[in-house]
Amino acid sequence: MRSIDIHAHVTPQSYISAMKGGQVWHGVQPEPLDIEPQLEWTPEQRIKDMDSLGVDVQVASTGAQFYYYGGDAQAVAAMHRECNDEVHQMTIDHPERFRGLAQIPMQDVDLAIAELDRCVNQLGMVGAMIDDKVNGKTFDEPEFLPLWKAAEQMGAVFLIHQGGGTLVRPRTRSYHLPNTIGNLVDRAVTFASFVMGGVMDACPDLKICLAHGGGYACYGVGRMDRSWDVGRLPQIPQPPSAYLSRFYYDCLTHSESALRMLIDMAGIDKVVFGTDWPFDMQIDWPVSWVLGLESLTQDEKEAILWKNMEKLLGITSD
Amino acid sequence: MRSIDIHAHLTPQCFIRAMREGREWHGVKPGEMGIGPRNSWTPEQRIDDMNSLGVDVHVVSTFSFYYYYDRDPQVILPMHRECNDEVYQMTVDYPDRFKGMAIIPMQDVNLAIEELDRCVNGMGFVGAMIDDHVNGKTYDDPEFLPLWKAAEEMGAVMLVHQQGGQTLVRDRNPNYHLHNTIGNLVDRAVTFASFVFGGVMDACPDLRVCLCHGGGYTCYGAGRMDRGWLVRPEAREHISKPPSTYLSKFYYDCLTHSEPALRMLIDTVGIDKVIFGTDWPADMAIDWPVSWILGLESLTQEEKEAILYKNLEQLLGI
Repeated sequence: MRSIDIHAHVTPQSYISAMKGGQVWHGVQPEPLDIEPQLEWTPEQRIKDMDSLGVDVQVASTGAQFYYYGGDAQAVAAMHRECNDEVHQMTIDHPERFRGLAQIPMQDVDLAIAELDRCVNQLGMVGAMIDDKVNGKTFDEPEFLPLWKAAEQMGAVFLIHQGGGTLVRPRTRSYHLPNTIGNLVDRAVTFASFVMGGVMDACPDLKICLAHGGGYACYGVGRMDRSWDVGRLPQIPQPPSAYLSRFYYDCLTHSESALRMLIDMAGIDKVVFGTDWPFDMQIDWPVSWVLGLESLTQDEKEAILWKNMEKLLGITSD
Repeated sequence: MRSIDIHAHLTPQCFIRAMREGREWHGVKPGEMGIGPRNSWTPEQRIDDMNSLGVDVHVVSTFSFYYYYDRDPQVILPMHRECNDEVYQMTVDYPDRFKGMAIIPMQDVNLAIEELDRCVNGMGFVGAMIDDHVNGKTYDDPEFLPLWKAAEEMGAVMLVHQQGGQTLVRDRNPNYHLHNTIGNLVDRAVTFASFVFGGVMDACPDLRVCLCHGGGYTCYGAGRMDRGWLVRPEAREHISKPPSTYLSKFYYDCLTHSEPALRMLIDTVGIDKVIFGTDWPADMAIDWPVSWILGLESLTQEEKEAILYKNLEQLLGI
């Protein structure tokens, strides 16, 4: 069974070398390297692990710790270009195994568009991975609209993935809850910001993939609909649930019943394979996990593992 | 069909009288808090509305606006006593239509226990409604343990309900009513996690906690909490079983605004843990709530009866 993973991270080798060499890297001061050992692997070692997991293609994204949206835009743009060039090289060296998702400096929308354009139109990347927020701003802010319009025209995919603190952190830092609850609520707020801010109406062909199964977006949409029913969302012509099928979602729910509900509500054509490689919160043996789910049909498993992604990315398999 | 609503609020008449007369009320100045039209109804007007909705019993809780956990407990205790006395009078005047849910000054655990005891043992209340946190402290904080122990001994139900508007989502996006439509639900998930990961449910095996708004995102998001428990030592500090095994230790109201969400809740926590709750008289309440439950195609007749009254009769010893 073929499989394409949209949620798989990379730590730039240039960063690793700089840190090990005690050098400043695009403004990042030398710091002790604190990353998963797999992130130091070469692309060839990574491919061996993919082989053991049964994953054919990783759509590689530079990790969320490299967003640096709070940094100087020009400096971060240069950092992101280097990250993206490295991912690009992986896709050149191993075109059958890697596709690329860009990093773009969201603190400057013009620079973000320029780098997205370079990555998608020149380097053949799929799109970009971005945070749920940019220095406190959500994606309903009008300043981001030119980016959505540009991405729509390019056919670029945005993978939404938190970086830094989530909404749970001000309440508690215990028990890993800023991740296990925080990632999921941040994604629901991003869904709501895109939908209720009118972005999905303004950009009917915009492709957005919400990581971590879209978080709580699908389960919680009924309450959002209620607020539309009682007149609190006059700016959108349809209730929020009508927009669920406008998004893509990775399958990273860590729950069969949640994945089943996601499929039933968003549509099987909107759920794609994503694992969070190589972090501890990833799916263990992810292909086997999907294949073993009793509540999914064989067609649904194939759709998730590779068919939907091939269609989304315009890949044709032989 | 009989029905008992655990999630029905009261704006105390004693407060309304003071505001109308331009009097300060336990430190609340006239004009500080608005009063909606339905909120000022007398018990008799409320009963008329209950009759039209087909609701037999309200378990009446003073609105969350009156928590005032951030104020001097010596000022707030008399406020809460006055609120509770008014609720008690409703249960005396209409014993077949009203049960009482207390409000208690959580900023002082000893006073909170004292008032809970007065209400439960002295006036026959069901328990108390409390916020998801007390001035930023979550319920895994050891200072609250004596309260849980006392409530367990009294057989009191703790109904967990956010203070309007003050949820975790507000800091990210203050628009679109998201502080309520996403915020209530994430706050409840954090509260579930605080009780469970903090070891409270193990320390108090008979503690009865009812999570409003269907427990928020708890049931859908438990898979990711389980994964966190599996891979993170800090998530196993106090508990030796995955958090999902505690789902059936809680009660949940049916206020999901979604049939598939309610169905998943029932399937995940057990039909004996889901009870009728409507959020009367807020605009985010369920319209015609008894009819809504009775009309749900994915529920059996037995499940509908369990939710509408049987589970609550058992919980309350009616």
